[in-house]
Amino acid sequence: MAADQGTLTVGRSRIGTFFANFGGVVFSIVMFFPVYWVLVTSFKPQTEWSSFTPTFIPEAPTLDNFTSAFNAPNFKASLVNGIVVTAVAVLFSLIIGFLAALAVARFRFYGRRAIILVVLAVQLVPFVALLIPIFLMLQSAELTGDSIIGVTLVYVVLLLPYTVWTLRGFIAGIPRELDEAAMIDGCTRAQVFWRVILPLTGPGLVATSVYGFIQAWNEFIIINTLNDPEHQNLMAWLMQNQTSRGTYWGPLMAGAIITSIPVVIFFLAVQRNIASGLTAGAVKG
Amino acid sequence: MRHGKYPFIIGFLAVPVALYAIFVVAAYIQTFQLAFTSWSGFGPITYVGFDNFVKLADDPLFKKSLLHNGYLLILLPIVTIALALVFAFLLNVGGGSKGGMTRGVWGSKFYRVIFFFPQLMALAIVAVIFGRVFASDKSGMLNGLFPDSWAPWLFLADERWALTCILAVLVWQAVGFYVVLFSAGMGSIEHEVYEAAALDGATRVTLFFRITVPLLWNTIQTGWIYLGIAAFDAFALVNIMTVDRGGPDGATSVLAMMIYRNTFEYSQVGYASALGVVLFFLTLTFAALTLRVTRREAV
Repeated sequence: MAADQGTLTVGRSRIGTFFANFGGVVFSIVMFFPVYWVLVTSFKPQTEWSSFTPTFIPEAPTLDNFTSAFNAPNFKASLVNGIVVTAVAVLFSLIIGFLAALAVARFRFYGRRAIILVVLAVQLVPFVALLIPIFLMLQSAELTGDSIIGVTLVYVVLLLPYTVWTLRGFIAGIPRELDEAAMIDGCTRAQVFWRVILPLTGPGLVATSVYGFIQAWNEFIIINTLNDPEHQNLMAWLMQNQTSRGTYWGPLMAGAIITSIPVVIFFLAVQRNIASGLTAGAVKG
Repeated sequence: MRHGKYPFIIGFLAVPVALYAIFVVAAYIQTFQLAFTSWSGFGPITYVGFDNFVKLADDPLFKKSLLHNGYLLILLPIVTIALALVFAFLLNVGGGSKGGMTRGVWGSKFYRVIFFFPQLMALAIVAVIFGRVFASDKSGMLNGLFPDSWAPWLFLADERWALTCILAVLVWQAVGFYVVLFSAGMGSIEHEVYEAAALDGATRVTLFFRITVPLLWNTIQTGWIYLGIAAFDAFALVNIMTVDRGGPDGATSVLAMMIYRNTFEYSQVGYASALGVVLFFLTLTFAALTLRVTRREAV
């Protein structure tokens, strides 16, 4: 039956199927080639990455670029700083964001709508517009320069809107009847939040933390403005090295690979959850 | 159930509200205040009334930047969403049907991972790579692909095409995320819907416009808002990639770039703040328009 109806269904035109497959392949090459190029270049010895005739596979693969990047000034400090700032900012934005999302999703109160709108509006306005006053404020509080507290606080503020918005969607998707059932069984309201809603928001927390991690890890404008070169992250380090050592492609690409590793690992680990997490948060009213 | 809800509300919202009061509300009040001064970042503050805004109106770079933001605001969402929809459709139902089941093109699971990689790459890295892709001599990847007899294309060094190159990079980075987002949405559309339409003789094109797009409308709107935000910013990329940061001759300047340079390079904090005020109202207008058009119920 299937064989007969095959002529009636979507794939009836083989040429169409061919073009669909062909399009998919071409598009993937466009998407992936630059990534591939970084990867390949990072393993090439200097004679190869500085040559005008490109090679698609390194002829004499080497790890020199990685050791060179790793021993470059400020690299290790930037690595440690980036990890600390990102981890702390994501953790705090998750805790604060989860509680705020609970308040907004589970209670009706005066000013609720205003809070949601302000949160949304902040997400819309480019942060550069706020960089001046925030810089002045944090500087007078002595939280810039060699202190990473200021930049961590700013990252928490940056990550909060998305966190609240996404988690609110998840919590709104949990039926209120569950809360009520648990309360009839003797749970206090706090226990309901801790034992019922928190576990059910799990996938949302994962999706949000991945998104937050990527945002904070990849940020460099703010940290570059607020902190001195010994107290920045790897992205800022990369950017500075791109301008100051412009043509050192090999070590630069190796640095790029090292900075991307945590994000890629994080992504591959939660790859299945991320799409559903994003849609749930985005679409559920 | 109302008993004792306010302790929770206050406890849960105290910290985020305080953070917002300090880092957003107070910061904006200060930006508005500084917009009416000629402050350089140091020394005494002098109020100059609306001088900064008058100066803005006469600044050709401001007009250019405004146009560039508008260009990105219109084209970035359209191009990205159109490409993402087409490829998400290919991944999900483009591979024809077998045994009465529609399916994605060959290798679609693999593609899904690949498409996400650009999203994971930091802008700093993306900018470095595309600097090589768009290099204006024969060492550039694109110029290297063209026949030897062609004169090298200037790309970022060409006033007419520089902004389009920036747009291309923004699309390249964003599109994978939306392919994944739309794929997830399409995955939740019942296969029977496609089967029924296909039995009625619908082609791929009909399926796409009559079933996929209408059923994904909500997700598309969300994507539109996110891409709009990206278009208002676009600063990081312009800052690293372009000739003379915003050049050549202001051809890629955007508002955020102007703010940054006026603050941290030209010591014109007052003028930069005035730009910040303009940017604030522009983004809010965009947000209000989008919310009105898409009209989310029960915000």
